[in-house]
Amino acid sequence: MNNRVLIYIEVNNGVVARVSKEIISHAKQNFLQSSIDGIVLGDEQSIDSALFDLKQLGLNKLYIIKDNLLDMTNAKVYANALSVFLENNQYDVLLMGATSDGRDIAPRLASKQDIGLTADCTGLEVDENGNLLATRPTYGGQLMATIVSKTKPNFATVRPGAFKYLQQSCNNETEIEYFSLSFDGLCSLLEVLYSENKPAAEDWTCSEIIVAGGLGIQNKENFNLIYKLADLLGAKPAASRAAVEQGWAEQSIQVGQTGNSVSPKLYIAFGISGAMQHMTGITNADKIVAININKDAPIMSGADIAIECDAVSLLHTLIGKLSD
Amino acid sequence: MTFKIVVCIKQVPDTNDIKWTEHNTIQREGLDSVINPYDIGAIQLAKNFKYLIPDSEITVVTMGPNQAIDALKTAVAMGCDDAVLLSDKRFSGSDTLATAYCLSQYIKTFVPDFDLIICGQQAVDGDTAQTPSSMAQKLNIEQITNVIAIKEANNDFSVCIKDTNDYKQEIKASYPFLMAFSQRDIDIIPDINGYIKAQNKTITVLNADDIKADTDSIGIKGSPTQVRKAFRPLNNRESIRIENESVQNIADFIVNEVNKCRTADE
Ligand SMILES: Cc1cc2nc3c(=O)[nH]c(=O)nc-3n(C[C@H](O)[C@H](O)[C@H](O)COP(=O)(O)OP(=O)(O)OC[C@H]3O[C@@H](n4cnc5c(N)ncnc54)[C@H](O)[C@@H]3O)c2cc1C
Repeated sequence: MNNRVLIYIEVNNGVVARVSKEIISHAKQNFLQSSIDGIVLGDEQSIDSALFDLKQLGLNKLYIIKDNLLDMTNAKVYANALSVFLENNQYDVLLMGATSDGRDIAPRLASKQDIGLTADCTGLEVDENGNLLATRPTYGGQLMATIVSKTKPNFATVRPGAFKYLQQSCNNETEIEYFSLSFDGLCSLLEVLYSENKPAAEDWTCSEIIVAGGLGIQNKENFNLIYKLADLLGAKPAASRAAVEQGWAEQSIQVGQTGNSVSPKLYIAFGISGAMQHMTGITNADKIVAININKDAPIMSGADIAIECDAVSLLHTLIGKLSD
Repeated sequence: MTFKIVVCIKQVPDTNDIKWTEHNTIQREGLDSVINPYDIGAIQLAKNFKYLIPDSEITVVTMGPNQAIDALKTAVAMGCDDAVLLSDKRFSGSDTLATAYCLSQYIKTFVPDFDLIICGQQAVDGDTAQTPSSMAQKLNIEQITNVIAIKEANNDFSVCIKDTNDYKQEIKASYPFLMAFSQRDIDIIPDINGYIKAQNKTITVLNADDIKADTDSIGIKGSPTQVRKAFRPLNNRESIRIENESVQNIADFIVNEVNKCRTADE
C-alpha cells in the first residue's frame, strides 16, 4: 500500500517555516509506506529565495503555486488556491503547520472541500489502513483526544515545536512541478496597512537543552539566574505563565498551552509546579528534570527525574560551578 | 440603513471546574455552563461597534440544546438586541464543519444582508479555533482573526489590529467580513435594565428546516471527524526521585545530565 501524503510548506519572507520541516521529519520517520509530497505558495520573490532550501527538504515531489497575487498571505485566497490543487491531485493525508497563518487557512480549505480537520495536533500516526490518527490536547491539556476523519484527505494541523526536526542530508534533489491556476475573481479584499513580524520563536524552540523557571524562583532578580545558567550551558531560557505574568520573562519564551510547545533533549524546570497547561507544552521533551521544594508538586510525578531542592540555591551553586 | 452585526457564541462547561469520571469523560452533573470567555469579548466588541455606528443592530446566535437559552438571555442582558437559538435533534453530534455549516445557513437564510460577523477567537473547551474561518469560507467573505482591537470603524470600513504569535498587522476591511476577537478577559456586568430586557425577550428558536439545512451536512452524518479515543495525558516517564541530597551533589548530577545529553549528540 502506498499512502499519499501532502505537506503544506509555509514560506515566510523567503524562509521555510521550521514547523514545515518538523512535519516532514515526523512523517518520514513514522509514516511507513508513504510517499511525501509538498506544496508551497508564494509570490516570485519569496519562492525564488526559498527555492534552494525547498529542494533540500527530502520530499518526493514539490508542487509550487507561484503568483504575485500571493505576496501577502490571505487565508481566503490561499485556501481557494489549495482547493483547486486538491481537486486535481488526490491525497490520503494532508498536513499543515498550526502557525497563525496555518490556523487561518486550514479551516477554510477544509470547509471548501467539505472535509474534516483536526487542529493543533501534538501527535500523528497512520494506522494499518492508512488512516491518520491525529491526537490533540483539549480542555486546556486536561484531556487528549485521538481523532479520525472519514473524508479524504485526512487533514490535520500540527503545533509548532511538537515534533523534532531532524536535519538529514539528502542527496537527490526534489522534483519540482509548477501548478498554475486562474486567480480570476480570487483576490484579497483586505488591505494590510501595516505589518510587523515578531522575532521567530524557532531559534529557541529547536534548542537541545532548555532551562525553565516558574514562580518558585520568587523574584525577578533570581529569575536572572535562569538566563545566566542557560547562557553558561548554551541552553535556552523559558518560563511558566505565572513567571511571565510577574513580568520576570517575555511572553515569547512562555512554554505551555498558551505559549510554545518544545521538544528538547533535556528540559530542566526550576520552581514550576507542573500545571497541566504547562505540561502540554513539554510532552515531547526527551527528558524532564524537575527541581521543586515540594516533593508532592504535580511536576514531581510528571518528570523523569524529580529533585527535591531549593531552586535558588541550586541555581547559585550551578552558576558558581560552571563559571570556574 | 441599519448596520447588521451577528455575534456567534458558544455555551461551554466551566473549564476551571472540571471533574473527570474514571472513564475520562467529563462529570456533567453539577457542572456549570457559561458563555465561552472569548465570546463575551465578541459581545463587547459588537457593543463598541454599535457605539461607533449608531444605527446598529446586534443579533446573537448559538447552536445547542434548549438550555443554551440561558446563555442567549445573558447575552441580551449584556447588550445584544436579538437572540437566536439553532436547536434540533438532528444537529446533535455536529463537529466544527457541520457547526460552521449550520451557522452559515442561518445567516444566509435570515440575515443575508449582514455587515459584520463577530466570533470569539476560540472556545475554551475545544480550543480548535476552526469554526469562524470555516464559516467565513461558507459565506465566501474575508476574515480577520486574532483581532485585539479596532483602530477605526465607520459605515464603510474598519481598521482592525491583528496580533498573533508571528506578527502584528493593521488591516483595513470593507463590509461584509468576519472577525474573530482574541481577548478573553473581558467581563460584562449587565445592569438591571439589561436583565429586564432579557426577561421580556423572546428567543427565536430555529430548526434544520427553518435554516434550509441539507440533512446530510448536519449532525453526526455531516461530521467527518470522530473521536477514536480520549485519554488523560498519562505519565509514562520513569520518575527517579532525589531527596535529601546536598546542593553540591545535585549540581554535579545536573552538570552530568547536561553532558550526557551533549555526548548523545555526537
Ligand atoms: C487557559 C489557561 C492557559 C494557561 N496556559 C499556560 C501556559 O501556556 N503555560 C504555563 O506555564 N501555564 C499556563 N497556565 C497557568 C497554569 O495553570 C499555572 O497557573 C502555571 O503554569 C503556574 O506556574 P508556576 O508553576 O510557575 O507557578 P506555581 O503553580 O505557583 O508553582 C510554583 C512552584 O514552585 C515551587 N517552589 C516554591 N518555592 C520554591 C523554591 N524556593 N525552590 C523550588 N521550588 C519552589 C512550589 O512548590 C510550586 O510547585 C494556563 C492557565 C489557563 C487557565
